[in-house]
Amino acid sequence: MIETLPHWFTSLIGEDWTAKLDYITNGKHLLWYASFRFTLIAAFGGAVLVVFFGLLGASLKQSRFWPFKAIGDLYTTIIRGVPDVLFFLFFPLAFEQTVEYFSAQSSCTADELAQTGVWPPCDAAQWYLTQNEYLILACVSFGIIYGAFAANVIHGAMSAVPKGQLEAAASYGFSPRQVYWRFQVRQMWVYALPGLSNVWMLLLKATSFLSLLQIADIVLWAERLGAPNYFARVGPIHPDWRWKYYLVLFLFYILMTMLSERFFEKLQARASRGMQLANS
Amino acid sequence: MFEWLSNNAVIQDIAILAKPAMFNIYFALASIPLGFPIAVALALGKNSKNYFVSNICRGYIYAFRGSPLFIQFFMFYSIALSMNRAYWKPWGIDDIVLHPLFLGPLVLVFNTSAYAAEIFYGSLRTVSKGETEAAKAVGMSQWQTFRSVTWPNMIRLAWPAYTNEVIFLFHSTAIVYFTLPVINEQKDLMNMAGELFERDYNIFLHFSVAALYFLAISVVIFFIAGLINSRLNRHLHNGNNVKIKFKPNYIR
Repeated sequence: MIETLPHWFTSLIGEDWTAKLDYITNGKHLLWYASFRFTLIAAFGGAVLVVFFGLLGASLKQSRFWPFKAIGDLYTTIIRGVPDVLFFLFFPLAFEQTVEYFSAQSSCTADELAQTGVWPPCDAAQWYLTQNEYLILACVSFGIIYGAFAANVIHGAMSAVPKGQLEAAASYGFSPRQVYWRFQVRQMWVYALPGLSNVWMLLLKATSFLSLLQIADIVLWAERLGAPNYFARVGPIHPDWRWKYYLVLFLFYILMTMLSERFFEKLQARASRGMQLANS
Repeated sequence: MFEWLSNNAVIQDIAILAKPAMFNIYFALASIPLGFPIAVALALGKNSKNYFVSNICRGYIYAFRGSPLFIQFFMFYSIALSMNRAYWKPWGIDDIVLHPLFLGPLVLVFNTSAYAAEIFYGSLRTVSKGETEAAKAVGMSQWQTFRSVTWPNMIRLAWPAYTNEVIFLFHSTAIVYFTLPVINEQKDLMNMAGELFERDYNIFLHFSVAALYFLAISVVIFFIAGLINSRLNRHLHNGNNVKIKFKPNYIR
């Protein structure tokens, strides 16, 4: 990496800084920088699923059929009453076990199925998840957790849509389903946007949990790179530097928050074009 | 009947997880009494006319609200570790400073004071101008105005949101032991649920019971906060018949 730099540049910054630059661009560090993709994939993939589960939850909560409404209310209440990290760990493991249960039914013998306290009952039913599969499961758990938050936001925004617009649509002969999907859901976004931006901030911060699912994300690499390093041949390379790496992550998340805030401000301004708002 | 109770897996789990739940309650209880006054001070600081004070408070609140608690735990623990040889050890306080029962509440205080400060700042700005002007017109000093007009209104307006924050704080105690070392039998709900899971791989049972503990304690927090809320609003006509409902807010 360092060899590709022109000579005038390395002589300009001096030997010390060249060595430092060399150190932070070595193979392990490049892997660390690459691992930022997991965080971003989880955030964006999660966000798409959050909107999906949010719409689903809000539709359930708004349903006139009481079992649906009960399911919607139960979903949002339970998720809110439980720490996000608990559900974040629960869902991927529970999903994995459920799949293993069904594959065990077909691939294990009756004796193996009867034993207790062993999981999975036989080796054939063991499902080894790859890192990418865990990443997908993490996205789904984010979707379910923060979908409950989004459902509440969307449910509130639905009732903020002026009644007159929906009645006008109905009087033009749109069916109730058409009124719901073509008018209420489309008009709702403007009112839901401030709340959804809050949910996005929560989701963004929750992406730091990825390492709990053994995904080699930025937090795991920070731990690996910062841990005191010692080679028998050379002696100690560096003492405990973890705090430096965590400080970088701390600043990274603050930067992401700043960028998201800017983005949502722009989006809000664009979404509420031509609307008469009380405070403008 | 009794035998059935003691053999029931759910009851057994509830009994096993009772002690770990105390650690979660400890973390929350230890950080609220310190977090509350710091949050009030930060809110007043952010609202202050002094450029430096206001910007420092604003920056602190932004930084701690804008980054994950998970990273904050790692960061403060590793900073504390790296300062061990130079400071804690010579001073003879390394056992205390690096102990999770000290460091956990400390980081939680940093975190919750930022979130609560933003809540108090918001309510501080919605205290009605008319009331503070009336206080000035009566001839109250600045401190008297704060003591008898601004402060009670600020707390009363912020209370529902602060309740929400306390519940979020309680829920975030779940990640303390993912980041700090577990010493001997000092395990919290998540540790113990994970350990039980590794024994018999019954995730549905153990995690549900742990979740039940979090839900139950959240309801208790709601109930206590509701009692305080009706006391804060007792001068209003509907103050006495405010219904206490478990209807949590969703946004931190």
